[in-house]
Amino acid sequence: MKASRTARAFQYVALLVYMVFLGFPLVWMLSTSFKPPREMVEIHPTLIPHNPTLDNYVEAFTEQELGRAALNSLQVSLASAVLTVLIALPAAYALARFKTKLGTAALGWVLLSQLFPFVLLVIPLFLILRQVDLVNTHAGLILVYVVWALPFALWMLQGFVRNIPRELEEAAAVDGATRLQVLRRVVAPLLAPGVVATSLFAFISAWNEFFFALVLLKSPDLATLPVTLARFVGVEGIARLGPLAAGSLMATIPSLIFFAFLQRRLTSGSLAGAVKG
Amino acid sequence: MLRKLAAVSVALLIGLSGCGDGGDEETTEGPVKLRFLSLAWQKDSLAANRELVDKWNAEHPDIQVEYVQGDWNSVHDQLLTSFEGGDAPDIFQYESAAIGEFAKQGYLADLSSLVSSDLKGEISDGIWKTVTFDGKVAGVPFLLESQVVLANKKLLDAASITVPAAGQSWTWDEFQANAQKLTKSGTYGVAWALKSPTNRVMNLSLNFDGKFFYDNGGKTEVKVGDPEKEIPRRIHDMLYVTKSASPDAVGMGGTDPLPGFFAGKYAMLPGGVFLRQQMVEQAPAGFEWVTLPPIKGVSASQAANPQTLSISEDSKAKKQAMQFVEYFLNPANMARLAQGDWLVPTGKKAGAELVTSTGGKQGWDVAVASAGDLTIAPFQTVDGYPEWKTKYATPALQQYFANKITLDQLGTQLVDGGKQVLR
Amino acid sequence: MTTLAEAPSANKPDYKARARSDRTTIYLLLLPALLPIVVLSVIPLMRGIYLGFTDARAGRNVDTNFTGVENYRELMNDDLFWSAFRIGLVWAFAVTILQFVLAFGLALLLSQPLKFRGFARVMALVPWAMPPVIVGIMWRLVYHPDAGLLNEVLYRGGAEGLQHNWLGDFSTALPAVIMVGVWSGMPQTTIVLLAGLSGVPRELHEAAAVDGATAWQRFRSVTVPSLMPVIVAITSLDFIWNFNSFGLVYVLTAGGPGGRTMLPMLFAYEEAFRYGNYGYAAALGNVMVVIIVALLAVYLRRRLREANA
Repeated sequence: MKASRTARAFQYVALLVYMVFLGFPLVWMLSTSFKPPREMVEIHPTLIPHNPTLDNYVEAFTEQELGRAALNSLQVSLASAVLTVLIALPAAYALARFKTKLGTAALGWVLLSQLFPFVLLVIPLFLILRQVDLVNTHAGLILVYVVWALPFALWMLQGFVRNIPRELEEAAAVDGATRLQVLRRVVAPLLAPGVVATSLFAFISAWNEFFFALVLLKSPDLATLPVTLARFVGVEGIARLGPLAAGSLMATIPSLIFFAFLQRRLTSGSLAGAVKG
Repeated sequence: MLRKLAAVSVALLIGLSGCGDGGDEETTEGPVKLRFLSLAWQKDSLAANRELVDKWNAEHPDIQVEYVQGDWNSVHDQLLTSFEGGDAPDIFQYESAAIGEFAKQGYLADLSSLVSSDLKGEISDGIWKTVTFDGKVAGVPFLLESQVVLANKKLLDAASITVPAAGQSWTWDEFQANAQKLTKSGTYGVAWALKSPTNRVMNLSLNFDGKFFYDNGGKTEVKVGDPEKEIPRRIHDMLYVTKSASPDAVGMGGTDPLPGFFAGKYAMLPGGVFLRQQMVEQAPAGFEWVTLPPIKGVSASQAANPQTLSISEDSKAKKQAMQFVEYFLNPANMARLAQGDWLVPTGKKAGAELVTSTGGKQGWDVAVASAGDLTIAPFQTVDGYPEWKTKYATPALQQYFANKITLDQLGTQLVDGGKQVLR
Repeated sequence: MTTLAEAPSANKPDYKARARSDRTTIYLLLLPALLPIVVLSVIPLMRGIYLGFTDARAGRNVDTNFTGVENYRELMNDDLFWSAFRIGLVWAFAVTILQFVLAFGLALLLSQPLKFRGFARVMALVPWAMPPVIVGIMWRLVYHPDAGLLNEVLYRGGAEGLQHNWLGDFSTALPAVIMVGVWSGMPQTTIVLLAGLSGVPRELHEAAAVDGATAWQRFRSVTVPSLMPVIVAITSLDFIWNFNSFGLVYVLTAGGPGGRTMLPMLFAYEEAFRYGNYGYAAALGNVMVVIIVALLAVYLRRRLREANA
């Protein structure tokens, strides 16, 4: 599987094109966050600010409690990601490996629930959470996020489980391993990339979610980052771009760091390792 | 977490069916607590809001106000959900165009008996009418956005056009003629930013007495006659006949035309008075700008859509909430809030105070003077106006201003839309 | 690899028997996922579906009546909705297909042993990691007719003639927002496919390579078939999400110009939250669910059968 030299070169060019397409808004946001107000309305915008300033950061952090909001977001997102995976993993395994009526119904439902306009679900959901006193708590929000991420988690994870050749498990079973051992030694390492992808999804969708966080949390101390950042946007979509960019950059970086640590795992589950066990 | 989960499901299994009054913890002891949802977002206005609330709390230990910041884009959804869920803020900031719907749905307290005569007298009747629905006052109007014209002074001078003083409005004919004088290669006389064209057209149409909505024996209907056609036709003429307005700017909204305006690509920029803030903060060094008074047709009247403070019907302390509103909007405070948002205060004393304190500079003279032209327009009290606007009027106007349909077709679409919505 | 291929056939009945005895554990495995779904998804959803058969409206102490198919009769003649629905289909198909093709290409690249791969993987996540509130604003700046990044690049690249009012022009508005949709949804598709790629047994690749298969043949006969379950899952979900999304488009164009980018979910949202017609909005939702489910059923049935074969 060695690529020829020209193929490699082509691959690097393609990768560069992808990076520019996907990454330039981040670069632009970075540049904007250091621009004074006057430079944001230039007819020929420049990437490097003429007179770089830290004012936007100062303004963003002194005016809104971004630090506290970030902590709130971190807590909610981590809890959602962990819970989602913990709940979804066994269920996904069961769905992929055993055909049950309940399983089919659950998968169908999961798709259906994603289809219905969520704006119509907000009010009933709000009323349910109010019944059990979970409005205006992080626990209530986490619960919503877990339910929100579960469909994706279930669908993806059961796809990944299906991807693992059944023969591998059966071979291990033949060798006398108990089911639990099969799961731990054979399935878990192969599933690692899927679990990483899923937890990443759960984390980021919670980290960026706006609407439920806005509606469910009333106390200013509980507010999450997206809700706090939205306060830099005013009437008719006019934004205070400087502080918004500064704050947004600070909100983007944790996700990227989180991912930088996880990304290796995305491809770690090689079959070679699994067969040995 | 799992325990909470279990708790949720158990609670649901036991008794979900409809008993809708969870979480009623009414405290009879201790200070009254009020939640105030503010939409301040500009630096100065934010600071003013917070300071006023802090000051109030220090002076009124028995009525404590919690300051909660919302944002303009999501406030509608936030309010609607909290009204439906029975968890609305006691006091909230919004605008007259939006609270009418809430008032009719019964979510807002009628303030007519709560407002003091002092505050009542400060604000003109025309403005009060914009917040009165079925005889009930749904909010206290406090900030106004009038439509003025910002202009590049150097380009005006070069074309030897003199700047009219406050109260000395140009007529539309003069405005159009001047726009043409200012148009040269590389420069358009005007940038009409019409991303959301409907409110703009409705507001300005009062200049020619264009009402759009007429009462026909108890039933409201849309009519598009000559008065209604004036504003769309004039704007369209500037875009496609005299070519003194940029067709590219038509899709812009809010502050989008600023780069072109500062670069001299557009000589004049019709827009809300709040744009003056961007002039002060963002104009390049050496750029000279002026605020021209609102343009006039048969009159200089414009529709007023004031920002408001309302009190929820479900609030348990409406009286105390009104006390806070009265304090928050006393002339000195109102002037400060207006200055922070670069808008015009509704109160007469507040306006006078603002002109004095700023010396009328940065267009404050023109801005405050324009308040007198602001009044109620028929569309503001029509049921179903938001639906008519989004579904029919906005697409039709966008097509007309993109030169895709004729003026008569525009009229037909607006009237037909009215028949659909106002059944 | 060879031992794997031989071993199971002889012992299969034994394994099956054990699987049957595990049946109770299956339900235990499913329970934690089903419970929250039932409580916080099934119940609100049931209510939502029911609302579609009523005249529910926003308001304090408003009575709601069951109206049967009244909403649907009205809906059949709602031209504006059906035109939005058509735009929604164009949008959802275009975004999903482009997203899938581009993400698959990127995932293949990122699974190669290239330098800066780790960095590139992190960069691939950018659209996902940026707060949505600023994404729309940044893209408005990209498409700005006077000072937009895109026009600026064209200007500096000497292609001034190609400068354009991207979001304002009736013919380019929809393609322009589709581009943003593709951009914003790329990361999750890429990540999922990348994770899936790592599950493709390397031995299969090597065996095929030994048999003299070209890279393209290996891709078609090994990579794609073994990825099929993941591909099916992510494209179905992408399609649903894309069909349901409207926030980004709302910030970019608010449905304009002239209704060219009015998506059906935006339409339903405004019906519910702006005009307060909960019943009618729910009916719109029900109809869309039925149509999309029908579309997906065709796709899923075929794909899943292939995958399970």
